[in-house]
Amino acid sequence: MPGRIASFLRNLLRKRAIEQALDDELQSAVELLTQEKMKQGLSHSESRRQALIELGGVAQVKEEVRAIRSSMFLETLAQDLRYGLRTLRKSPGFTAVAVLTLALGIGANTAIFTILDSAALRMLPVPHADQLVTVGQDIRGSVSRNVWDDSSFVSYSEYQLYAKQNRAFSSLLAYSPVTEYTLVTSKPQPIMGTLTSCNYFDVLEVRPEQGRLLADSDCAAPGESAVVVLSDPAWRTTFGGDPAIIGKTITLNRTSFRVIGIAPPGFNGTVTFASAFWAPATMVKAFFPTKYDLGDDCLSWLALIGRLKPGVSTQQAVADLNVVASALNSRQPGRITTVTLTRATLLAMPSMRTPVLIVGGLVMGAVGLVLMLACANIASLLLARATGRRKEIAVRLALGAGRGRLIRQLLTESLLLAFLGGAAGALASYWWVAALLRFLMAHLPTGPNVALAQHLSSDWRTWSYAFVLSAATACFFGLAPALRASRVDVTLAMKEDGAYSQSETISGGRLRSFLVGAQVTICMLLLLAAGLLLHGLYRAQTVNPGFRMENMEAAAFNLSSAGYSHQRAAAFQQQLDDRLAALPGVDEVVQALSIPLGNSHNGAGFSLPNGSNGFAVEYNNISANFFQALGIPVLQGRTFTDVEERSGAHVVVLSQSTARRFFPAQNPIGQFLRGGDPAIGKLVEWQVVGVVADAQLAELGNPGKLYLYEPAGPLQQADLKVMVHSAVANPAIGKEIDAAVGGLDGALNVTIGPLSETLEFWREPARVVSAFSIILGVLALLLASLGIYGMVSYGVSRRVREIGIRVALGAEDRDVMRLAIRQAMFPVLAGALIGMVLCAAVSSVFSGILFGVNPLDPGSFVGIPLFLLAVALLASYIPARRAMRVDPMVALKYE
Amino acid sequence: MHFRVDRMEGDVLLSHSDKRGKMGKERTDLLRGTLDLLILKTLALEPLHGVGVSRRITQITAGVFRVSFGSLFPSLHRMEEKGWVEAEWRASENNRRAKYYRLTSSGRAQLRAEERDWIQVVKIMTAAVESA
Repeated sequence: MPGRIASFLRNLLRKRAIEQALDDELQSAVELLTQEKMKQGLSHSESRRQALIELGGVAQVKEEVRAIRSSMFLETLAQDLRYGLRTLRKSPGFTAVAVLTLALGIGANTAIFTILDSAALRMLPVPHADQLVTVGQDIRGSVSRNVWDDSSFVSYSEYQLYAKQNRAFSSLLAYSPVTEYTLVTSKPQPIMGTLTSCNYFDVLEVRPEQGRLLADSDCAAPGESAVVVLSDPAWRTTFGGDPAIIGKTITLNRTSFRVIGIAPPGFNGTVTFASAFWAPATMVKAFFPTKYDLGDDCLSWLALIGRLKPGVSTQQAVADLNVVASALNSRQPGRITTVTLTRATLLAMPSMRTPVLIVGGLVMGAVGLVLMLACANIASLLLARATGRRKEIAVRLALGAGRGRLIRQLLTESLLLAFLGGAAGALASYWWVAALLRFLMAHLPTGPNVALAQHLSSDWRTWSYAFVLSAATACFFGLAPALRASRVDVTLAMKEDGAYSQSETISGGRLRSFLVGAQVTICMLLLLAAGLLLHGLYRAQTVNPGFRMENMEAAAFNLSSAGYSHQRAAAFQQQLDDRLAALPGVDEVVQALSIPLGNSHNGAGFSLPNGSNGFAVEYNNISANFFQALGIPVLQGRTFTDVEERSGAHVVVLSQSTARRFFPAQNPIGQFLRGGDPAIGKLVEWQVVGVVADAQLAELGNPGKLYLYEPAGPLQQADLKVMVHSAVANPAIGKEIDAAVGGLDGALNVTIGPLSETLEFWREPARVVSAFSIILGVLALLLASLGIYGMVSYGVSRRVREIGIRVALGAEDRDVMRLAIRQAMFPVLAGALIGMVLCAAVSSVFSGILFGVNPLDPGSFVGIPLFLLAVALLASYIPARRAMRVDPMVALKYE
Repeated sequence: MHFRVDRMEGDVLLSHSDKRGKMGKERTDLLRGTLDLLILKTLALEPLHGVGVSRRITQITAGVFRVSFGSLFPSLHRMEEKGWVEAEWRASENNRRAKYYRLTSSGRAQLRAEERDWIQVVKIMTAAVESA
């Protein structure tokens, strides 16, 4: 219909001319009608009057014609927007407050969404990422398995089998998640890198910036191609942007690797942490001589990503891979393997994705609650403004505006506010995301060497999220006031005078009460959460972890990644022990696989010898003087003997909770437990030789966690870390330890620090969360107080006459106060109660960072509500005082 | 809101109905169809201005239908947008300027189509109403 389009455009662009033409036409019609009636004998003025009546009113007819016009929708929209802008400009204070509040709320939400989306939801930043899927393996049954990082990973031979026998993928790559290695230049330094299958770059469709990338030939002979590809940022910073880097060799973990190429800038592979290099996975033994064996079928260490063939669905791929998995099952009797497929995102490990999404969801929930609070506030403000605009609305209704049209216009105002706030917030979120990430990275217990890759950034999804959120927010706070405002009784409103209005209907008051109640609920929820978290933090600061930390220095180094064999490591540890013991002031030198409250955790399944009562227990390999040095009392039996330690005998010492769990009724000493020995990869029987007191070595706040100790035998020497205790505080102990280690091996990378610092790593996340929740809680309190203040003050101003009458009739100050406050306190109390119930329902989610504080901690659940009620009373009291100062004579005359 | 019917000696006053009422809107749609047909018919004879169309409709319906201008002008403008009528400003019979509407060729086609439809509808409705 070209004619319709032409007229649409014409209507739009030549509006004034068209309006003029319409006016002309109607004026001419009036003229003609007048002429007609004059011919019937009436006077000119009478004819004209009757003509106008017959026409039906020029303005009305014009409206009818306009309504028909095809460009009407856009015209009304433009009209509403202009009107809305004018209205907002007339009250700059309200507009500024509303836009600012919305910007904060929407911006915070958008920022959190961006981070979550980048980390967990967005596809990998490579071409055709929608074809990429993560392949995970789930193994059940009675098989023993050694797991590095995640149980969904595969061994190298399993990868080769999947790669060769599948029919669903055009290609399948494997990689080992970013690990720390040692780069040996003039001084050993840590460097993060990824080991990958040689088709890694091909599958990801990446071209080199310089040189070449890994090719299949590099994996042909395991252990032979010592080649490496550098990342662009690593080349620029660590290697100074050396233009002749290609072909040079670098030493990683004691092996020389030849640099064959540089990856393009912005490429970080399939991981979140910054990877400085990529090397063939077949070189793994060169990196870790004691740990990894390429031929080990029972080792889970490689993550898989496959590129689906076009037209193949994930269900078909899963079925195809399960066929391959059944071949693996027949190789290992008793094994049941299932394969899972998920879209490839940056969070490779499903076990990581769930907690990130949960935590992220909680955070978004909290920020979203604050946003809703802000919306409730703005809705109240809009309701109050609507009362002031009754006359204007009544006039418009009388002139023939439809109610729907009026609602549309009021909603447009709300949308305008929301989009202004949303745009500001989305812009702000750019900076907030960066700042938030920096803050998180600085405070999370993942060690000082990791930096999150750059592609956590905002893109079109951020903007669309902000857009949708703004629209939803506008509906949330604008719809109810708009509906209420348009429900004006025209005649009554026109007769009204000044501020005293009788037409504040019941439903209006109920809506305001509901809004205040909702605000108080949200506020209570956030404050209670903040209170619980603070209490937990206090507990963390003061808790006794059950072992001694003063004057204890810990030194961590990785002999296995430095290429030490078991024998060499044993010799090293012995020599180091001697040197450290000889240092002045040192009275204990301890070796252990895991430093208390450190980052490395090792767990295994243990059960009674008959296989019953199986539990997952965390274990630590320790030297015999561990308990003495750390001040953990031995309750029953003994610690390990020298012989047991040297030979790596299968003896264990249990923590008290573990002993109670396995042997509730009997003396555990001399009993046996069945568990795996990862060093030899078999299930063995361990004899219990001692029981020690519970100590919070694995995590704070959970003293009853199952924990046991094994001797640090010959096969663990390459992984042991060292702790040194001084009789008196020695600030130079760190340097002395460093010198001792350096004297034995100058190329070893050592991290040294006081043991009490590890506690900091634990407290940091709690601090972050607490700070966050306090900020939100305070914000919520502010907004809720404002809401209560506004409601009471509004109520007072509405009832000035009533108050005046009551005072004139003899009401006392107390009665007036009660009158003013009572209306507000009911929704406050109801809201507070609901908030408490909600918090009690969800607070168990926090128990991980409450450090043993009861999620229903009575202190918080009594103190915080009282505090909130006190604030609410204050917020009500101040405007209520105005009620008391009402002079009845003035009030009765108040119009 | 409502559809006003004023019984004035057999006259039926076609009032424009309030768009708020659903009942009124349905009636409006039905009436708009018949109104369009009437307008096209009157313009088939000769070009007319708005007032003239109204008078002519009353004339050809033997005085029964009196179209309100609140319904007539929107319909004329709608038909103008659809291309069924063309407009030009001319001097009227009293030498005043008026906007005259003229049927276009697509308007004539539309008229013929609507006449056919109307006869069909009448046939069907008559049969339905007269059946036992």
